[in-house]
Amino acid sequence: MLNDSEWIIIINMTKEAEHAIEVENLTKLYGDLLAVNDISFTVRKGEVFAFLGPNGAGKTTTVEIIETIRTPTSGKVSLLGMDVTKKKRKIVRRIGVLPQGFSSFDRITVRETIQYYSRLFNCRNTDIDELIELANLKDKSKEQFMNLSGGLKQRLGIAIALVNNPEVVFLDEPTTGLDPRARREVWDVLLGLKKKGKTVFLTTHYMEEAELLTDTVAIISKGSIVAMGSPGELIESNANYLVLTLQSVDEKVFEILQKMGFEPAPTNHKKIKVRMEHQDDVRKILNAIKDAGASFLSLDVRKPNLEEVFLKLTGAALREDIAEEVTQ
Amino acid sequence: MSLRVIDANLIVSIKSFYREKTAVFFRVAFPVLLILVFGTIFMNQDNVRYDFYMQDLDQTDSSTELVKTLEINENFKIIMIDPNIDAAQYARKNKINLIVVIPKGYESSLMQRMGLEDLSASATIKYIYDPSSTSVDTKMQILNSVFAEINQRMSGKPTFIKPAVTSILSRDYRFIDFFVPGIIAMTVMTASLFGAVNVNAELRQKGVIKKLSTTPITHTDWILSNVLYQFLLSVISTILILLVSYAVFDVSLKLNFWLPVFVVLDVFAFVGIGMILTRVAKEAESAAAAANAIMFPMMFLSGTFFPVEMMPGFLQKFSRILPLYYVNEGLRASMIFMDNMVALRCSVIIGVFAAAVFVLGMMTTKWEEG
Repeated sequence: MLNDSEWIIIINMTKEAEHAIEVENLTKLYGDLLAVNDISFTVRKGEVFAFLGPNGAGKTTTVEIIETIRTPTSGKVSLLGMDVTKKKRKIVRRIGVLPQGFSSFDRITVRETIQYYSRLFNCRNTDIDELIELANLKDKSKEQFMNLSGGLKQRLGIAIALVNNPEVVFLDEPTTGLDPRARREVWDVLLGLKKKGKTVFLTTHYMEEAELLTDTVAIISKGSIVAMGSPGELIESNANYLVLTLQSVDEKVFEILQKMGFEPAPTNHKKIKVRMEHQDDVRKILNAIKDAGASFLSLDVRKPNLEEVFLKLTGAALREDIAEEVTQ
Repeated sequence: MSLRVIDANLIVSIKSFYREKTAVFFRVAFPVLLILVFGTIFMNQDNVRYDFYMQDLDQTDSSTELVKTLEINENFKIIMIDPNIDAAQYARKNKINLIVVIPKGYESSLMQRMGLEDLSASATIKYIYDPSSTSVDTKMQILNSVFAEINQRMSGKPTFIKPAVTSILSRDYRFIDFFVPGIIAMTVMTASLFGAVNVNAELRQKGVIKKLSTTPITHTDWILSNVLYQFLLSVISTILILLVSYAVFDVSLKLNFWLPVFVVLDVFAFVGIGMILTRVAKEAESAAAAANAIMFPMMFLSGTFFPVEMMPGFLQKFSRILPLYYVNEGLRASMIFMDNMVALRCSVIIGVFAAAVFVLGMMTTKWEEG
């Protein structure tokens, strides 16, 4: 029989084996500005974990503390069982980082850049062709960095983050500023990473990205984590309703909905959005509109997404252009 | 320190360099062009010929003889003007700064003096000149000495005081010899200063430094790589400058171990200053502006283009506090005067300075964001 202290050791060992990242009561102050406010979370090995939040929420600060670039004001952060403030040299060899707004040497080609970073890690067995393949950069391998589009630059950054075959990969806003097509191409690369079983720490302010790629999402706002769980769980527990969208409606419809006790919200493109608790409400609304002789162009009923969860939890939108995105 | 890492950095730096055509121009071709342009200007000054206007009012054999005597002097290219026109008006109209007029009756005066030994007989050669012209004094001085020699010969007595010239230099010291070490010092300085500023400020602003700080490369490796790269390029541009100087201008410069010593110290000193500047000025643009503010006084006040002795006293004192002054003085001491003591003194001063700013630069440059 094992005694209590032996059990604790075993529990700690499994914890260490399971968790790639452990953050306890992390706080970061820049002068008087509280960037990260006493947050705690863990990231399991092999999972894709995302920080979802608007600009200035504290995503990058937290990630950079874990990456050993910044120092915490207080709290404990360990990565692969090592204290990030003490084992920088050892940690950097076992992680791969795509920093926010990644950039590289202008006149160096894709292949040469990967070779360069591989040399920095003293990796003699990096398969550069495989990385080029993974990032889908085969046609561009002789192109200089300055001639690459935003999406290609980000994909090169991801390839570079993998030169040392890292156990944990950090991707800080990998798709910010990219057009929808380039964003999807980056997602393809990230899905490839997920298949390889890498632990990935992602920060993003695109809810589609978090929904599509991640196992666990932490919603972060003003330096605090407001909710955490799988995308499905978060939606289930925070937004248990349906969203009805009506397009090109009569002005009468707005009044009808108000009279029925709903809270219709007008959005742009002549749309009205209504939250409903029950599926049955759809039929009731349609009947009411029909009885009043009003009309509409199209109707859409769907489950809420992370964007609405975020809106509900923080009372703010993830991005300024979000109203448009949600309605589309 | 990792050789593999330093090697990787060097490869990237060198590839970036030769793919950036403007960098190649300013680093390699520009100093060579400076040498060629200034060298040509100074070479012409060394054996200058003066256009020389004369008006012969006498029109006799003797006056023609005098013109020929002056023509023998290789400094002059003589142009005769019509004796029937007004010389002063001609000079004004054609912007000629000096016309020498041989008076009517020159031959008869000469006959009186030589044949009849009449000591009261003399000839007055008139200089019609523009006092605002800079080269006219030199012309008149040369003329005076030529006439003095003619007078002296006519007296038939040998000269008593004869000047003898002994140069303290083994060979004739020309301006180009002075100029080349200055250009080497200046080229190494500008490249090191701007190299350090560009690498640190621009890459930091672009976020490349942030990415590097998540790799095993150490700060020391990074700085050593940059110094080594600057040194390599400095060696290449120095060799080119010297090749052109020897081939085109046949300079008489001595090459010895002091040259690489001063190039290394020049690199360290200005890479150090560059690192401090990038720490003080956060934006790449302001760092480059600060580097310019440091570079210009160094270039003009530390004896790169002309000797410090030509400047007023207070500026001479000021030049003594400029680090480039000691590189210039040290290089000239070793390359022209072969004065090891002066070279040693200069190398110690610039060496201490280089060590101080370099260490300070290393200490102030941080990768972690705080």
